[in-house]
Amino acid sequence: MLLDHQRGLLAEEERSALEEHLRSCASCSRDRGAEQITSELLEQRLPRHAAPESLKRALAERAMTRQTSRWRTPAWTAIGLAAGVLLMIIPYRWQSSLLSEARAKTLLEEAVNDHLRVLERDTPLPVVSGDPHTVKPWFQGRLDFAPAVAFVGNDDFPLQGGEVSYFVDRKAATLVFKRRLHVVSLFVFRADGLSWPSGQDADRRWRGFSVLFWRAGDLGYALVSDIDRAELVDLRARLTAP
Amino acid sequence: MDVARPDRKELSERALSYADPLYNLARYLTGNASDAEDLVQESFTRALASFEQFAAGGNLKAWLFRILRNAFIDRRRREKRAPIQGGLDTVHPDPELEAAPIELLRGDAELEHLRSVVARELEEAMMALPEAHREVILLDVEGFTESEVAEVLGCAVGTVKSRLSRARGALRRRLHDYRR
Repeated sequence: MLLDHQRGLLAEEERSALEEHLRSCASCSRDRGAEQITSELLEQRLPRHAAPESLKRALAERAMTRQTSRWRTPAWTAIGLAAGVLLMIIPYRWQSSLLSEARAKTLLEEAVNDHLRVLERDTPLPVVSGDPHTVKPWFQGRLDFAPAVAFVGNDDFPLQGGEVSYFVDRKAATLVFKRRLHVVSLFVFRADGLSWPSGQDADRRWRGFSVLFWRAGDLGYALVSDIDRAELVDLRARLTAP
Repeated sequence: MDVARPDRKELSERALSYADPLYNLARYLTGNASDAEDLVQESFTRALASFEQFAAGGNLKAWLFRILRNAFIDRRRREKRAPIQGGLDTVHPDPELEAAPIELLRGDAELEHLRSVVARELEEAMMALPEAHREVILLDVEGFTESEVAEVLGCAVGTVKSRLSRARGALRRRLHDYRR
């Protein structure tokens, strides 16, 4: 239950009862501290092993081989042989292209799925406020970076609140805005190690949602919503204003 | 004309995008880079061969993790190594492991010790855990929901909840013992 509480998964009634108990029970309060430290250790200090590039290339090659071998009629066999020769001639370029597309898609899917989690959450955001002086300081100590955001809401895009979430494999600051009845999610995260989309890839649609990606220094930003794309671009301009 | 072909390409691309988290789990399960690479390659081959079984709109990441876990279990059986502890290869968990007491650190000094743990100690403590504990922690850290972890492990959500709680307690105890 302490873990559920830490993750904001308890219903309001359970949460209130537990918090009241924690105020008067030193033992359970220490247990909560132990759970909190355990989460921080696992999230921030547990080494993550990235797949070697040679393995990724081998997987990409296997995927392509599989795609060609599936069409092994005589004609397709000839095409398969030609593809095999092509693989030997330009394997790296083709594989890199496949990997690049896969990585760009990862970020797009991650952004949309994270936005869907914001839409579907049945508990309030951990910090619910339209006041930037409440929301921005709330992230201090919860992230290993300062989420630099120039715009923190107005009547056009009122700020609803924020939370700490994950983007791919790292912590992210999530800021939630409204545009009329629509929700707009902004995810801010460290961009190091991510294969960053550029050009057309940085401005994409998936499953009815528009996603804008951009980078500023070491940080990456993903802005997601189902509002009109022009309005989303307008919000991005406010967020990136000098 | 076959309309399934673009779907296979899309699934391949999406599967490739999970190479890093799959390899990470494989490293923690096998304990070394070479076996981890082999395991990911084998898992990927299995996934490519059975894309037809993947339900459209399903959770591809959880499906791939389940394949990798099953491939690991099959390897262990083939190699006839030590029996897998804690029900890693079964839907029904080891009752002894499930009933193990949750180890909690009680003193403030112990909490301070816990705060000062470094990455190497944490990794070593993880590797010293029973595999069933290690994998549930890793899946949780990976960001899977409890339902998704249950899907990967083939067990009930309640089992995931209790196993995760005990696994985290066991990890704290390992870290505490390590530092004594």
